[in-house]
This record gives sequence, structure tokens and C-alpha cells, in this order.
Amino acid sequence: MKLSISKNVHLVEPGDFEPTDHWYPRVLNSNIHPLVAYFLNLSHEQIAERYHRLHPQSDLDTLMEILRYQPQYFRWAGTDLMHVTNHEGNRRLTVIETNSCPSGQKSMPLLDLNVEQGGYKRLIDKTFKPMVNAHKMEGALAVIYDKNPMENIGYAATVADVFGENVYLAKFDKADIDPPVKFENGVMFIRNEKDEWVQIRASFRYVTQEPWTRLPEQTKTLILNPIEACLAGGRNKEIASAAYDVFNEKYKDKGIGIFTPKTFRKVKYAELQGHFDRLGGSMVIKVPDSNAGQGVYTVISQSELDHAMSEIDPNDEYLIQELIHSNFSRNLDPTSAWYHVGTIPDSKGRSFAFDLRLMMHATEEGIRPLAVYSRRSRFPLNQELPEDMNSWEVYGTNLSIKGEDGWTYADERLMLFDIRNFGQLGLGVDELIKGFVQSTMAVYAIDQNAIKSYGNSPIKDYINH
Amino acid sequence: MNKKVLIVEDDVVFCKILTKFLTKNSYEVLDAQNGKDAIELMEMNKFEFAILDYRLPDMNGIEILEKLKTQNKEAKTILITRYGDQDVASKAIDKGADAFISKPINPDELLAVIKGL
Repeated sequence: MKLSISKNVHLVEPGDFEPTDHWYPRVLNSNIHPLVAYFLNLSHEQIAERYHRLHPQSDLDTLMEILRYQPQYFRWAGTDLMHVTNHEGNRRLTVIETNSCPSGQKSMPLLDLNVEQGGYKRLIDKTFKPMVNAHKMEGALAVIYDKNPMENIGYAATVADVFGENVYLAKFDKADIDPPVKFENGVMFIRNEKDEWVQIRASFRYVTQEPWTRLPEQTKTLILNPIEACLAGGRNKEIASAAYDVFNEKYKDKGIGIFTPKTFRKVKYAELQGHFDRLGGSMVIKVPDSNAGQGVYTVISQSELDHAMSEIDPNDEYLIQELIHSNFSRNLDPTSAWYHVGTIPDSKGRSFAFDLRLMMHATEEGIRPLAVYSRRSRFPLNQELPEDMNSWEVYGTNLSIKGEDGWTYADERLMLFDIRNFGQLGLGVDELIKGFVQSTMAVYAIDQNAIKSYGNSPIKDYINH
Repeated sequence: MNKKVLIVEDDVVFCKILTKFLTKNSYEVLDAQNGKDAIELMEMNKFEFAILDYRLPDMNGIEILEKLKTQNKEAKTILITRYGDQDVASKAIDKGADAFISKPINPDELLAVIKGL
């Protein structure tokens, strides 16, 4: 590796992958839970057949079509899911959001102990490499990022190993007035050690903060994922929600649908109070472009609503979702109220809300699960919330710590899918299958929206091969 | 006991890669991304080595070098410069820097420089 070949650019060389640098220490010493390994090795046929048995109304051929789908834009994705139940004990996995630059590798135990690069290698080998090989263009390879250096250095080192060539690792920050990455006529260039611009033929992308301010559409340089995946719903909760509705309408006769909390889009600031009252005094307010837990407000009281409204822009429009409740209440509408199932109670009787981050990638088989982990909330569901505590402590599961640089996180709330933690979640293979099928449908919906909005992707030719 | 090293460089990736590399080579490493944080670390720790980038958001590496030498004149310092920064390198040596290296940095070469001091 050559550090700082130019400002915010490092040159990563074959042989630079160091496992201890790309996983949290806890994960390095963990062993994947056998049920999780079993799930990750299920074939599409097994997954579809099982989902069909769990949901007899679903059409098996349609399920297979969606699992085998080849996304044109959205070939690497992560969903956040929650395990919920209703008053009758009908448990489901609900899609909270879908991300176009998902983190997760650093929290995933090795599936195969003989492959020390783990999920990094599966993603680069089975998704990025075939795309790059089919993309006829001169130039170098790159990883561009604005967060999460632990995983992105890992990706750069894996790309270097898989392709046997040096990789430019460049920070493409929103606030950088002289960034080391630029585009000319859709071609990406990165500044090298002589302050010259090097043409890039393909780039892995982990640029998350308003990426549309820096990444053009329909680039000639191959990018995983291209900006269209973000614009079509991979980074905008409002557009994703609309794409899910289109999907649900299209497939309602096939007995499948994307399940989300009840959602209201394009809610004006002045309408927030009315929604709060109609929803019975609780809701979730989301800034459509927010991520990493920022710009999401759980509201369970007038004072929390007032606080949220004091922080958000009165000129914006918001996404409102029904809160997934902590505990059963007879005052809630039983036809629409959902509750957190929560973790298995610990020895002190505490059960915590948790989410699942499921990372997927498109391979020649279709969409496959790649990594999965959970995060739990700080405060238990089944204890009374102290008056001075915000409801986010009960419902919020994000691990990011303010000022986070990718190296600090709330370790005590990270729930690995390993032998030690997985059992505490109360999940089985069926829940993983349900969550994966829900996630695949969300990716399908967003990718179809991208095609509808931006036309066929140039990589369609690769898919047709 | 492991020798304590301070790295001051505004690129967090640079700091973390080098921190991990030197830690594996039996150094105890702390890093800062600006001069203010570096000075705070210097007040709380006694460093045997410092690796200082010249260009920082709030100060330059020579200013930090001078503060470090005031606290501990035995401390060894390596200044990181850009290719062609000969004037900066000369000034650093005048101010007491023990070595300077130019970007890009090869961690193995940097380690050899540290061991040579």
C-alpha cells in the first residue's frame, strides 16, 4: 500500500488485505450460527418453495422470477427489517428502508473459514468482477467513499487481489472543495501522485452523503452502484415507498407484496400535528434523504413532536410512518397496529427492539443474501420509559456515534449472527427467508423504478450475456 | 514497554492504517487529525516518536514539532512532506526534526526510518 499518493487518495496493492483491519474485533473471534450458515446456502428453489409454504397464497413462479431477477442498476443492496407481530400473534418481517451503499461486512462472521476475505470476496468476485470484465474500457480500478473506511479499505484490498492490479482508494467527500475525484463526459478520473488525472474504468462506490451532488447519471465508467440506484429509491425513502406501492399493485394478484409500516408520503410540515393526532399520538417522522439514523424521529408525545418540529425544516415534506409499538395497548386499532417482537428476555427480563440489516448482491443466479446482523435499542421495550428519556432510546437501533469516522460504534448493542448472539434474537430460518424475500422484492421494486425513470442501463448488455 | 508514537495527519484513513500497522509492529500509537487534538494528546502522554504531516487544518507540522520538543527534547520526530517540498524539509531539520519523508508513504519504508532513529 502507498499512503497519500495525493490528498485523500491511497494506492492499494494486491496482498494488502489484512483481516484484522476489516472486521470488528468481536467478529474476528466469532463463529457463524449454523442456522444462519444453512440459510445463506439455501438455493433459490428452496427459498421460494419454503416462502410459498409459509405464504400459501403466493405464486411460486412469480417468487422464482423475483429471486432470479437481474437488476440493471441496483446490484448491491441492504435492507433494514424489523420483526413485528400483531394482536393475533401474526409475526412478520417489515421493510424499514433499503440502502444503496449498505455497511455490514465488518459485522458478519465468516461463512467459510477457508476464505479469509469472507463476504468482501463474494461481493467482488460474484458481482463486481463479472460486470467489470464485460465492460470494455481502458483505465484503472477504484473505490470511492465518504464513510466507513474499515469496510472500504477492505473492498479496495479485495478488488486489488481479485483483479491482480493496484486500486485507487479515494475519499469523495461532500464538503471537499477540491476533491480527488472528478467526472468528464461521464468518465471518472482520480488524482495520482503526480497530480495528474487517471482515467477509471470501473469503481466500487460507497458515497452516501447526498451522492447526487457529485455522481452523474449514465456514467461511462462502470460504477457499483450507479447513482440511479440512489435516485430511484436506494437512498430516498419517499421514492422507495412509491416504488413499493407500484410493486404491490402489480403483484397483488400473485399473492405477494412488500410489507412496510403504514406510510404517508409528502407530508407538509403544517400537517404533522394532524397526522400525530389521527395516528393516536405516536408516529415516526422521516426526512426522505436521511440515513444512519439521522433525520428519523420517533414521536410518542406532544413534547417529542414539538422537539422534532423544532429541528426539521418547515419548508420540507416528510415521510410519516405508523410507529411499531413497544407493547400491546387496547387503545390501538387492532387492524393496523404492529408491535416489536423484541429479543428473547434476558436474565433480568429485559426485551429490546432490534432490526436486521440484510445485505444482498446480484450474482449470475439472481439476488443472493450476503451478510446479516442485528442492532438492538438501548432501553428495553418492557420497562416504563423514564420521563426524561427520549423514545428513540426504546425504538432506535442505529449504532452510529456522533462524530463517527467508521471506527467507533455502540458495540454493546451490535448483535452478531453468531453462536453467542443469534439465539437471543428469537429468529429461525423461516424468519430469515421471509426477510430475504421481502428484501429481494424491495430491490426489484427500486430497480424497476430506476429502469422506468432512467431507461435501460448500459450494463444490460452484460446481463443479456 | 512499547514505545509511544503520535501520528498527526488530517486524513483519518492514513492515521488508522498507519496506527494498525505500527501497533502490529509493537508500538503504542495515538493519532490526531488536527493540531489542537495533537496538543491535547501531548499534554496527557509522553511520546517517544511523532510522525507529523506538515499541512494540517489548523496548524503546521513544524509548530507541533516545536511544542513537542519543548515538552520532551528527547522525542524523535519525522515530518511528512509532499513530493518537492524541499524548503519545508530544510526548515523542519533546522527546527529539530530527526527525519522527513515524502508522500506517498510506504508503511514498511516508514518503519525502517523509525527503526533507524
